[in-house]
Amino acid sequence: MDAIAIEKPEVAMSWQGVVRFLHKTPRAFLPMRSFPSLELVAGRGIEGDRYFVGHETGFYSHKPEEGRQVTLFEMETLEALRRDHKIELLPEEHRRNVTVEGVPLNHLVGHRFRLGETIVEATRLSTPCRHIEEILGKSVFDPLINRSGLNCKIIAGGTLRVGDAVRPI
Amino acid sequence: MAKAIKTVSTVVSKVEDLGNDTKRFTLVDQDDWELPPFRPGAHIDVHLGQGLVRTYSLCNEPDDNRRYVIAVKREREGRGGSNFLHDRVEAGQPISVSLPRGGIALDPEGTNVFVAGGIGVTPFISAIRHLERRGRSNYVLHWTSRGQPVLPDMIVPAIEAGRVRLYDTTTQAKPVIAAIVREFVGSGLAACCGPAPMLQAFEDAVSAWPEERKHIEMFTPPKVSAKSDVPPYELYLSASKKLATVTPDVGLLGTLDALGVDVPVSCGGGICGACRTRWSEGPPIHRDRVLSPAERQNELIVCVGDCAGQRLVLDL
Repeated sequence: MDAIAIEKPEVAMSWQGVVRFLHKTPRAFLPMRSFPSLELVAGRGIEGDRYFVGHETGFYSHKPEEGRQVTLFEMETLEALRRDHKIELLPEEHRRNVTVEGVPLNHLVGHRFRLGETIVEATRLSTPCRHIEEILGKSVFDPLINRSGLNCKIIAGGTLRVGDAVRPI
Repeated sequence: MAKAIKTVSTVVSKVEDLGNDTKRFTLVDQDDWELPPFRPGAHIDVHLGQGLVRTYSLCNEPDDNRRYVIAVKREREGRGGSNFLHDRVEAGQPISVSLPRGGIALDPEGTNVFVAGGIGVTPFISAIRHLERRGRSNYVLHWTSRGQPVLPDMIVPAIEAGRVRLYDTTTQAKPVIAAIVREFVGSGLAACCGPAPMLQAFEDAVSAWPEERKHIEMFTPPKVSAKSDVPPYELYLSASKKLATVTPDVGLLGTLDALGVDVPVSCGGGICGACRTRWSEGPPIHRDRVLSPAERQNELIVCVGDCAGQRLVLDL
């Protein structure tokens, strides 16, 4: 009997998102501060952020990782927390650097994409941590499992601004 | 490998001698960044080096988010923390503190009656400043002091508005706490911070009150969640040959930390697997969402783990 051929049609990811908020903080535990733009430096991180290579002062700095150069979070997750769990989590509270809308972050692990004029490569999904609950006093750990954002390394640096487009390459 | 950062780095920006053996310390971020938020009446652990850690209430209010202000009375017969702060800490010095914790759940509508003895006023100064900033006057402070009280400069509007009742025990009798709280028995919040006899009198006076309407400030750390439901057990680290007892209030991770074992904890909630550790005697209690049943036969996620038996042996 002939083997049944399984059709595997090509699937092209089609999306375009936008940068809604930008945040950084210089040291572990300190609140994130909002900025209209951030300077991304290839291979190092965000100027002035706690995980910038060479000036590491973050909560996880004792465990160096390329993917902490810039971290992203979905606006849609903030809406889901409000809708499904009645938790008001603000863009400055999730402690990722870039809040995006319209970007399927969970699909981008291993891919490069454009973040404004910069190019980043997603290394892994972020995992939630109790550290955030400790700082915020909000029970967000469980609701953030599998949608806690994306860790990325910076391939091509530049200035990233609120309102910039996020696009596949 | 660099050590994990577990405290907030601050700098002493100002030290004020308030008299009556009391100093006020203002702590800020080195770049004047905002500090982690806190509730009215919250406290912080101040790390003074060589294992000396002391807890002090914050006297400024949460909206004043670029500084932590603490007031410290020198306890000459104390355990050394206040003497260290008075004698060794000056403006410009770095000092590490914990994240703020605790605080007073103020009654938004009913009267908040605060009962303070001496320097025990500090959490209520924070609460009063918080209420005043919001234009609220639903509180009264009964403040006992031996001689002139310190820190009145932080609540001048409250004093001028007649919402603070001062008792100088060098010239007048101590107030009867039961009489103070009696008129609020049906509504509002009562809170007390002061010396042990005052706390005892307060506890007696509000013993029949519901828990959510009374607050006693004793600077005890919060219970460690998810670790308090098993009896104490022995912990032996086979590689480093270290032995300790894990108690519910410290937990497995806290015990490992105290032993100086640098376990690579990441999520702290049992999902990332960074702290997986081999075990050989137990059986452990697994609360993670990472390990398969087969892996649990010889591995444990220690950030949420515990022991169901009397002795846990880890390969550390």
